[in-house]
This record gives sequence, structure tokens and C-alpha cells, in this order.
Amino acid sequence: MEDLMNNKVELLVNYIMKNCLWQFHSRAWDRERQNREILTWTKNILRGDAVEPTELLDRCHWVDAKVLAHSYQEHFPWINDLDKAEIDSLMTSVHERMDFLTITGSKNLELTDQHY
Amino acid sequence: MPHHEFDCSTCIPERKQHAVVKGPGETIADALPAGYLSTIPGSISERGCAYCGAKHVIGTPMKDVLHISHGPVGCTYDTWQTKRYISDNDNFQLKYTFATDMKEKHVVFGAEKLLKQNILDAFKAFPEINRMTLYQTCASALIGDDINAIAEEVMEELPGVDIFVCNSPGFRGPSQSGGHHTICIAWFKDKVGTVEPEITSDYVINYVGEYNIQGDQEVMQDYFKRMGIQILSTFTGNGSYDDLRSMHRAQLNVLECARSSEYLCNELRVKYGIPRLDIDGFGFAPLSDSLRKIGLFFGIEDRAEEIIRTETARWKPELDWYKERLRGKKVCLWPGGSKLWHWAHAIHEEMGVEVVSVYTKFGHQGDMEKGIARAEEGALAIDDPNELESLEAMYKLKPDCIFTGKRPGEFAKKIRVPYLNAHAYHNGPWKGYEGWVRFARDIYNAIYSPVHQLAKLDISKDEIPTESGFVTRRMQSDATLSDDVKNAPELRQYTGKFDVIPDLRNKTALDYPYLRQDSLEQLV
Repeated sequence: MEDLMNNKVELLVNYIMKNCLWQFHSRAWDRERQNREILTWTKNILRGDAVEPTELLDRCHWVDAKVLAHSYQEHFPWINDLDKAEIDSLMTSVHERMDFLTITGSKNLELTDQHY
Repeated sequence: MPHHEFDCSTCIPERKQHAVVKGPGETIADALPAGYLSTIPGSISERGCAYCGAKHVIGTPMKDVLHISHGPVGCTYDTWQTKRYISDNDNFQLKYTFATDMKEKHVVFGAEKLLKQNILDAFKAFPEINRMTLYQTCASALIGDDINAIAEEVMEELPGVDIFVCNSPGFRGPSQSGGHHTICIAWFKDKVGTVEPEITSDYVINYVGEYNIQGDQEVMQDYFKRMGIQILSTFTGNGSYDDLRSMHRAQLNVLECARSSEYLCNELRVKYGIPRLDIDGFGFAPLSDSLRKIGLFFGIEDRAEEIIRTETARWKPELDWYKERLRGKKVCLWPGGSKLWHWAHAIHEEMGVEVVSVYTKFGHQGDMEKGIARAEEGALAIDDPNELESLEAMYKLKPDCIFTGKRPGEFAKKIRVPYLNAHAYHNGPWKGYEGWVRFARDIYNAIYSPVHQLAKLDISKDEIPTESGFVTRRMQSDATLSDDVKNAPELRQYTGKFDVIPDLRNKTALDYPYLRQDSLEQLV
């Protein structure tokens, strides 16, 4: 069961890595914000809970999330069968994995370089 | 993900940290090449300098400007007309470039008087141009010429003239990337916010990190206009100096080459609250997603979908014709900074080629993260390679084609590997739906070039076939295809024009019905 969940997480993470750019901003704090905002919006869109934002900065995160959620639903149709709790759990794992790959586990020395 | 040591570089052990192979199941958290470091002594780099990065890549594509370098004439020669960043004002910035031509005596006695006279002469020679960018070089920086003071003097003497000073001598950073950073920050601090633009649409963007190589900007500009979006400025391809002073009034920064100009978008986000949207203009799927996001941002996604539908229907059958013939071909993505990640996944998915190596001359570790993440397993990723390493990689990987700059491109040809110019293109534009097909067509033409096939024979030792006739591209590419594919009625070769840009420039207001009427009147 855990393996199945991990496989699903890896599929979703791999999709982001292959098709998105928003996760690779140049500073650690910027990546934290990008991952948090866009993946939270994605989760809420998949749950059917998202309310379209009006602020420009929020809308920018929202459009990345909107396209990602749509792609997930198209490429991984099993996601449409999950209930809200399962989506929460799945997207929490995706978020943790993305934070690891792009921030806490990243080998990119520039992320925390104060002189960059 | 093990680091990779080249046989030719065992005498430079530090180089091992600059290359990795993406192994099965491995991620960017397992290993990453070192990046954005000074080139190791003994390793003959293919990089440019920080002056070149500031002027050549970013400054000079601005079209309505006198671009003047304060330094020896060689600095300017090396940045003149070597890149095809065209413009719709008869390529003024490509045809004319200026240098103060510093000599030894100026190094001894100073060159500020020389600089001032050159600036005055340039404005006198081109009275219709009253904007200038002024670039510091190593020589003038080392002797301490105060080019800012000279620029101020001239602006006082010539009312109406505006001069932008870029203090990015060649030694300011390990590569051209240092120059990108410097000029972005200088432009933001000195020029953004000094002109108030006329807003003619409800949807206003800056298009950032786009240099109009063979018309890329004009292709994307057409899509944006068809959506009813006003492009306040393009940084900097086909861009206007005064438009770029008004960047602070956009609602969205659409960022293409993050490597060269994310700095500017980040500053605009902090000071003016303008969000940064990173996009891909290459590849059908990535471009469609990019247009979709911009449409969603403004609430006009139906207009984006209309373009996606029309363009995909028109060009996808042609892309697929090439995909069938390029499937499985091995390519190396060896550009400067951003195209390795723009292309790595899209070219594999949409053209069927295998990316066996990615490299970057001046990219940072962030570019390698993107490139490696998007590349398939087995790809060799190299940071700042030297010529011997590139040769060794080609002998080992045996690519069918490489995409790189003209320096490595030339020695690739010597070992019979066809190359396409990743920086200046061969028969671009390569952005947009049609552009992506043109790229596929250029790859096809390179790989199956009959002349290239003949060049693979070494007349000093190979047997030269005299019985067989000339073999065309089509005879080579279709030799192993099934009849179903060969005769597929829905697939066809590229049917566009030799030059697609004139038609874009000839469009009128009627071609952009979504733009508001007051905007339309300006366009007619």
C-alpha cells in the first residue's frame, strides 16, 4: 500500500520536474514559497475547493496550479477517483518530496549564498 | 549519480566536480555538477566574459539605441553582428556599433576626453537616435575612467538625450552570466520607472528574457496581440529603450530566459509587486501551457485556447512527419545557459530524439537542476566544458547531431558530427508552433544531409563507392520506415515560407480584433 502511494507521488513529482519551471527559483526562501503556494492551490483545485484569487501575485501561483491540476487529471485519471482526504494526503507527500528535491536535499550551493 | 571524469582532464582533477551522469532512478538530490565558478586554469573554456554577457546578450538587442563600448576596438568586434537578434527598425542595432578605440596612450593618459568626443560624434552622426547605452570594458575600468560622469556631462549638454551606463568590464564575474546580472540590476536601478507609458489594454505584460533571435519575439508577440494583450516592453529583443523604462506599469512579467534576466523580474516583483511567470516558448505542449497560463491570469483563457487549437491543427501534422524520421536519433544539447532545459524534455517527447548529453557554458547550478530533471536517464551533464572534453564526449556518445555555439560547432564538424547553432539558429525562428517545426526540419536536414554523409568518408583510407548513385535525404530517412508511416496522408513536410517574419510585420489592426480600439488606431 505504501509502495503504491510512493509510486503515485513519484509520478506526480516527475511530471512537475519534466514540465514545470516554477519550482526552480534561485533562492531557498523563494522555492519554499513557490512550492507551498502552488501545491496548496493545486490541492484545493483537485479537491474542488479553490476560489479564484483576485490579487496579482496570488493569481500567478493559481495559474501554475490550475494548469498542473488539469494535467494531473488528464495524465493520471486515477486522481479523479480520490476523496478529499486522499488528495490531502497525496499532495502533502508531493509537497514534502518537492521540498526535499529542490530545497532541503538540493545540491545547489547558490540557494543559500548570501553574496549571490 | 556519479561524477564523471574525462580521460582528457585527469590532469585537472577539479574538473570531475563539473560533470555527472544521470543514472537509473537517480535525482538532482543525488549529484549536481558544480557551476558558475571561475574556469579552472588549464581548462580552455568556451565561455565569454562579463562585458560580452552584458552587451552582446542583453544590451545590444535594444533596437533604437546607439551602443558604444569604451575600450579597445577588439572588444566591440567580438560582440558585433555575431548573433541574429533582428529588429523591426531595419536592424539598426545590428548594422551600427560604436567603440572608442582605446590605444596604449589612452591607458597611460586616460580616455575620458576620447569617450566624450566619441559620444558626441555618435549622436551627431545619427541625429534621429537620442538614446545610448555605454559599456565599460576591462581596459577602461582598470584605468578608472569615470564613464558615469561623462554620461552625465553629455546629458547636460544635449537636452533630450538619455544614456544608460553599464559597468560590467570583462572581469566582473566568472563568465558572461556575471554581465547578465550586472546589466539587469543596473537597468532596474537607473532606468525602470523613469517613463510613464500609455496603457492601451486591460491586459499588460512585460516579455522578459527574450532576444528575438531570427524573429522569436515577433512570433510570440503575435500570439500575445491575438489575445488582446499589450506588450509594454520586451527585455530586450526588438525592444525599445523608452518602453523598457516603463516596465513598472505591467501587470505580469512573462519570463522566458530565467538565466539571463530573472534578476530583473525578481526586483520588479519586490518593488512593484509584479508577479513573475516562467514560461517555455519552445515545444507544442510547453508553449500551449504557457499561453494557457497567461490567458488564465487575465481571465481570457478562451482566447489562448483558440490560438492553441488553430496553431496545433495547422502545424502538428508537419511536426509528426519529422518525428517519425528523427525517432531514436541521439542529440547533445550544448547551448549557453537556458536552452538545455527549455528543450531537454520537449524535444524528446515531441521529436522523438534521445538527449544523450546536456551542457551549459555559463549556466548556474539551478540551470543544471532544470536540465537534468528534464533529461532522461543516462544523460551526461557537463558544466563549462573545454574543447577536449567536448570532443571526448562526442567520440564516446556518438551523437547524430549537436546543438551548440559556433566555436564547438566548428570542431564538431571536423569529426563529422553535424551541428546546429543553438544560439543564433540556422533557419529560425524556432519559437512558436511553426518555429518548432522549423527546428525539427533543420535537425532533419542536418542529420540526413547528403553532403554530410559523403564527408564521413575518409578518402585517405576508406573505400569510395563508385557504383551507387547520390542518396537523397528522403532515401536515407525513409529507408527503415513502414509503408504506413511513409504513406500516411495526414503527415507532411514543412510547408511554411522561407522567411516567416515579413508576414507578421505586415499584419494590421484587423488581424488583432481583441486589442482595444484606441490601441488598434496606433497599429494601423
